[in-house]
This record gives sequence, structure tokens and C-alpha cells, in this order.
Amino acid sequence: MFRLHDVSYAHGGSARVAALSHISLDVPQGEFRWLLGPSGAGKSSLLSILSLEVQASAGMVEILGVPVMQARRSNLARLRRRIGTVWQDFRLLPDLSVFDNVALPLRLQHRAEDEIAHEVHAIMKWVGLENRLDARPLQLSGGEQQRVAIARAVIYRPALLLADEPTNALDERQAGRLMAMFHRLAELGTTIVVATHNDAIVEKYPAPAIELAHGHMVRDYR
Amino acid sequence: MARRRYHDGLALHQALPGQFLPFLVAAMSFLAALALAGGIAAHGLSQRWTHGAGAVTTVQVPGPDDPAAGSGTRIAAVQDILAHTPGIITAHRLSDAELRSLLAPWIEQTGDASLPLPAVIEVHTAAGQDPMPPLLPRLEAIAPGVMVEHDSVWSDRLAALAASLQACALLAVLIVMTVAVCVVMAATRAGLQTRRQAIALIHSLGAMDSYIAGRFASRVGLLALVGGLGGSLAALPMLLAMSHLAAPFSAVTDAQATAPVDWRDPRAWADIVPHALLWMLLALPPAAGMTGWVTTQLTVRAWLRRLP
Ligand SMILES: Nc1ncnc2c1ncn2[C@@H]1O[C@H](COP(=O)(O)OP(=O)(O)O)[C@@H](O)[C@H]1O
Ligand SMILES: [Mg+2]
Repeated sequence: MFRLHDVSYAHGGSARVAALSHISLDVPQGEFRWLLGPSGAGKSSLLSILSLEVQASAGMVEILGVPVMQARRSNLARLRRRIGTVWQDFRLLPDLSVFDNVALPLRLQHRAEDEIAHEVHAIMKWVGLENRLDARPLQLSGGEQQRVAIARAVIYRPALLLADEPTNALDERQAGRLMAMFHRLAELGTTIVVATHNDAIVEKYPAPAIELAHGHMVRDYR
Repeated sequence: MARRRYHDGLALHQALPGQFLPFLVAAMSFLAALALAGGIAAHGLSQRWTHGAGAVTTVQVPGPDDPAAGSGTRIAAVQDILAHTPGIITAHRLSDAELRSLLAPWIEQTGDASLPLPAVIEVHTAAGQDPMPPLLPRLEAIAPGVMVEHDSVWSDRLAALAASLQACALLAVLIVMTVAVCVVMAATRAGLQTRRQAIALIHSLGAMDSYIAGRFASRVGLLALVGGLGGSLAALPMLLAMSHLAAPFSAVTDAQATAPVDWRDPRAWADIVPHALLWMLLALPPAAGMTGWVTTQLTVRAWLRRLP
């Protein structure tokens, strides 16, 4: 779960570009939310606050019970291990194999190698890429890279899962599988926020939504 | 699967290549070794010179032929004491001729040759010993007005020279260390810059600052250790040769100074190289490694502050 109260955010130090203004939100544990709005509305900015990549310029942010603005650096690092993010640009490391990319979060948590291998094989089977483990990310198609990014985000069973346009590069069947996985993870107690500007998929999979426009919140369904 | 353990995306062998840094650290360790050797040599030579066999003390006895407190003349009593004091090698009374030639400039100026002259005794003391101060009261009792003058002008100058050489050596070492710290900082920053995407990613995946800094610091520390080892090894032959050349000036015995050296036997090296120098060569690589490790830790942690 997470709570935002009166959160604002501006990009860039001096030449400030206001990306979010006075956002207040309260999403309980195990809930799914669409994050909607046209391109440039501030969806990615909101997700980067939730994934602790940037700090809000003003307001109160509480994620998984941790008050983020007051937390120590080491506590923020620990909190990040409970948040999974699928970035819009995937952020796969080009010089690591697919296996090593997906294994990365577990390696950083110093898990045993045989456990890591087991987990990676299981999740890669689920996204249908179990035979591309030794490939480099740039040898994969956009859709395949997106599935690798999804696998890396869910492999450590985050309590909060954030996905930025995760169905962009997927075909309809794969998008359907992904939505089914999100549904099941939410049932297991994961809080999920999925940003998209694709109205078709929202219509097909109706769920509560937060809608942004020009950095302001215009709707908050419950 | 151990092969995969460090596939954490930092790719440090690329970010911090293994040739550039060790070479620079080796060059700077070499310079530091030479500077330290200079400092140690200056210290050794000054020890020898200031307490050395060259120390001369003059004893002036006024009214040498006046009767002493006990029996005989004052000069005889003083010479007797000097002759029986351990640490005094020779005590030579200057003859009238020697004295007059020594005093010629002053005597000519006053034009008076009948001035009563004191007796002057030149005392050579053994190396490292100064037996004169405790004698003073006894000499004073026998011959009131006796003057003991330690000829310390040269040894003072040598001591000052040695001290300034040591200060120069220290300054050189400090400068070399500063340059080394700057080089390590620059190399680390360049490495951070080339891996910034991977670092930002593992930071968002929950890697601690201590983990990232530790990975960089162990790599740099190792490279600096290797470099320091190279610098020490490169300096060794030069220091052996220099110590061999300096041996006659700093050896404790003449036999040691002129003995032939069996260069194949490392134990023989230990005889000619001052031990402080050997310890310094041994301490240099770990010192270089530690300097690299600490500098990198601080550099990486400061750099990571840009990530929230
Ligand atoms: N790194 C950045 N520097 C400056 N401005 C940015 C940056 N990223 C996004 N913006 C601006 O912030 C606003 C919100 O962008 P973003 O959150 O990416 O929107 P969305 O994800 O909804 O398309 C936009 O006006 C965008 O131009
Ligand atoms: Mg976006």
C-alpha cells in the first residue's frame, strides 16, 4: 500500500518543469490501479516517485508503511527491494545475458546461486522465454525485451509492483497473459499500478483508475 | 555457477581497466620509495655525523702552571683526569708553536707577544659519546676558569641539512600521495561515469551504497596494491645500490663498510640496507592499497549522493 498527500514534483534543478501538482492518493494493499492520462500527463513522474527514483518536491509520501521523506538512505535501499518496477524503456543491461539480467535483483539480495537458477528458470518459463536465457537483450525483439523486464520486476515477489506502459510492445495474447498475472499477484496481496495511455486495454480489463492531466489528478475511482 | 556470482552489471574490469591504474600507482610508489629512502638516509647520516668520531672538544686552562688545588700544576691535573676518562680517545695539549699559529691574527693585531696564554687541550671523543659535561665540575675545582668548548658548528650545520633533507622527503611523499589520491579519484569517477546506467539500475533494485562503494573500492584497492608492489620491486635494486654506496659513511664498523657483498643472498641485502628502508619497502604496497581503497570508498559514496 502507499499514500501520497499533496505531493508536487518538478523536473530539473533550476529550470523547473512542473510534472505533478498536489497529488493525494491512498491505495491499500493488494489493490490494482490503472494510471491513465495522455502522454506528458505525469504518469511516469508519478511512478518514479513511487519507485523511489526521485524524491517529491513537496508533500508526504508513505510507501509500504515507510515515511519516505524522513527515511534514512539504507532504509530506502531496503524499501526498494520490496518494490518491483517495469520501466517504459525496460532498462536491461546490454552486456549481461538475459539470465543475468533477470537474476540481478536476487544477486543483489545475496541469494544462493541454485535458488537463483531455479527462480529464473521458473519465471522465464512463465513469460515464454526459457530458451533465450543466454541471449543478450539487444538480440531480442521489443516484445521479448519487455517480457524480460517484467520477469525481472516480479522475480523477487515485490509488495508493490509498478509498470509503465508494460503492454506497449506486447501482442494481444501476451497482454492478456500479463493482465492475468497482475490479477493473480493482486490476489496474493501485491499492490499494482499500471500506467497506460492505451484505452482499448483499459476497456477490456476494467479496474479502478487514477487519471492525470497536465500533472493534476482529474479522477480517482475507487 | 560461481562464475556468475559477480555478474551484478557493474563490469568493473571494464570500468576500471587493470593496466592504467597499477602502472600509475607503481610509478608513484617508486617516487615515494626514493623520497623516503632519501629521508631515511639523511637521518642515518646525520646520526653518524652529529655523534660521530669527528667530534672535537677544546679545553682551555688559564694559568696552566699555577698550582692545582691538590698537588702539581693545574694543567697536569686536568690532563690526568682527561687521560683517565672513558670515552676520550686522545687529549692533546697544543704546543706553544701550534697555539701561536692559531692565535696569530689576534696577536698581530694587538702586537703584544707577551700576553699570558692559556693552555689548550684538543679532546677527541669516541663516536656517539659525550663524556665532557659530567667532568666540568671536577675540572672547575682543580682549575678555576676552565673553559670547555664543544666544536658544534659543523655538526649543527649537518643536523640542519639532514633535517631539511628529511622535510623535503616528507614533502615529496605528501605530494606524491596527493597526486595518487587525485589519480584514483579521477579513475574512479571515470569508471562510475562509464557504468552510470548499471549503477542507477542496481541502485533502484535496492543495492546499498556500501555494496557499490565496496565493489569499486576492492577493485581499486587491489589494483593499487599491485601497483605498490611493482613500485617497491622497481625501487629495490636502486636502493640496494644506493645503500651500498652510502655504506662507508653510515656503517658502524669499517669492516662492514668495505666487506664485499654477495648480491645473490637476500640476507646480505638486509645487512647493507638500513632496516627502516626494508620496512618502508614492505609497507609501501599495503599503504598504496589502503589509500586506493579509502579514496574510492569516499569518491563512490559522494558520487552516489546524486541518486535519491
Ligand atoms: N527528465 C525530465 N526533465 C525535464 N522534464 C521532464 C523530464 N521527464 C519528464 N518531463 C516532463 O514532465 C512532464 C510529465 O512527463 P511524464 O511523467 O513522462 O509524463 P507521461 O509519462 O504521462 O507521458 C512532461 O511535461 C515532460 O515533458
Ligand atoms: Mg511515460
